[in-house]
Amino acid sequence: MKANNNLVDWLPNDLGGVESDRFQRVDHEMLPWEKRCHALADVLDQHKIVSTEEKRRAVEALGSDLIGKLSYYERWAVGFATLLFAKGVISPGELARKMAEVASRFEPEAS
Amino acid sequence: MSAHMHDEGYGTTVGRGDYTPGYYEIMERSIAELLVEKGRISADDIRRQIEVLDSRNPALGARVVARAWVDPEFRARLLANGRAACEELGITSYEDTELIVLENTERVHNLMVCTLCSCYPRAVMGLPPDWYKLKPYRARAVKEPRAVLAEFGTIIPEDVEVRVSDATAHVRFLVLPRRPAGTESFTEEQLAALVTRDAMIGVTTIKSPVSAGGSTR
Amino acid sequence: MASVAKTTVAEFPRAVLARGEGRVFSAGDQVRVSVRFPVGHYRVPRYIRGKRGTVEAVIEPRVVNNEEEGYGRNAGDKQHYYRIAIPLTELWPGYAGSRKDGLRIEVHESWLERS
Repeated sequence: MKANNNLVDWLPNDLGGVESDRFQRVDHEMLPWEKRCHALADVLDQHKIVSTEEKRRAVEALGSDLIGKLSYYERWAVGFATLLFAKGVISPGELARKMAEVASRFEPEAS
Repeated sequence: MSAHMHDEGYGTTVGRGDYTPGYYEIMERSIAELLVEKGRISADDIRRQIEVLDSRNPALGARVVARAWVDPEFRARLLANGRAACEELGITSYEDTELIVLENTERVHNLMVCTLCSCYPRAVMGLPPDWYKLKPYRARAVKEPRAVLAEFGTIIPEDVEVRVSDATAHVRFLVLPRRPAGTESFTEEQLAALVTRDAMIGVTTIKSPVSAGGSTR
Repeated sequence: MASVAKTTVAEFPRAVLARGEGRVFSAGDQVRVSVRFPVGHYRVPRYIRGKRGTVEAVIEPRVVNNEEEGYGRNAGDKQHYYRIAIPLTELWPGYAGSRKDGLRIEVHESWLERS
C-alpha cells in the first residue's frame, strides 16, 4: 500500500530545504486591492475577529493545488471567507449575493 | 447600470470605465462591506490601517541602524530588547510581536527568512518584497544560504559564520549591518541613507560609500 | 533613558511560581526537537525535527502555542518559546558551506526534549 501521508502531514507551505526553482529577485508594485486586503487582515486581527495565525492556518488548508494557482492575496481572500463562514460571522449565501452586487457595479452600461 | 464614480470608502474610487476588478478583489471588497454592514468593523478602520501600512517602510529600520552605529549604549539596549529600543525612537511594534536585532560582526553574518510563510519585521520595514515570500528563497535560505547570498552579489568568507534566523513564532528580526568604512564623519541622517532594505534582511552588506576619488557622494 | 523591559514572575528570584510557570529549559541546554507528524496546523518545520541543538535564549513572556492559536484557541496554557541554535551541518548531510554556519529558530516548549 502506497504511503501518501505526506499529502496530509507535510504542509504545502513547509518549504525549508525542499527542491525549488532557482532563486529570482522578483517583486511587483502592490495593487490597491492587495493593500486593502492586507489592511483588512490587520483590522480583523486587531478586532479579534480572525487572528493572524488563524489566517495562516486557513491558507494552508486551501491545499497545494489552490496555493499553487492563487496569488498571495487571493489566497488570503478565500481564507477570510472560509474562516468567517466557520465562525458564523457571514454566510456563504450572503457573500455570494454581495459579490454579485459588487460585480454588477462594474458592468458596462447597456447600449 | 452604469459604473458611476463613487468613493469605495477605502480611499479608492471606482468608475474608471475600463477597470474591472478580478474575482478575488470582488471577494475582498464584499467581505469588507459585509463586515462593515454588520458593524464588526468600520470603513475608517481599514482606511486607517492602510495609512499605517503606508507609514511603515525601510526608512524606519534605517534610522534604528544609524542610531545604533553612532550610539553604543543605544546599540546595547537594541540588542537586549529590540522592541523597547525602537519605541525609544517613536517606532511602535505590532501587538504581540517581539523584535530581535541580529548584529553582524567580523565573525557572524546574519540573514532572516520565514520558511513557513512570510513573517517579516513590518513595523520597521514595511511589507516584504515578493522574492522573500516565494518558494526559492524560503526553500534555499536555510539549506544553502551562501548560494542565496551570492545571488545578491554577497560573498561571505568561509571563516565567518553565516547565521540564518527562521521566523516561526511571534519574534521578528532586523539585521544590524556592519557600519561601512569611510563614514566616520557622516551625520546620523547620512548614515541612515546608506542603509538598504536588503541589508536589513541580511542578503547584502553595505559597501563603503567612499570612492577611489575620495568623494562621499 | 532606561529601556522598558518586560518583567515576568521568573525575573523575581523569591517569587512562588504557579505550576508550569517556570522555565523548563535555560540558555546553554542541549535539546532535541521532537519527532512527530501532526496533521493540520503546525509551526515546527519538518527540516528541524529530530535535530539536536542548543538553547540560545528563552523568549519571554510565556505565550499560547501558535499551533493552538491557529484554531482560534487564544487562551489557556502558556509556555515558553526557545531560540534554538542548530548547526547547518546537523541539518543537512554534506552541507557545502562553512562548518561554522548555523540556524536560529524559535521552537515551542512542547516540541523540545532534553538531549
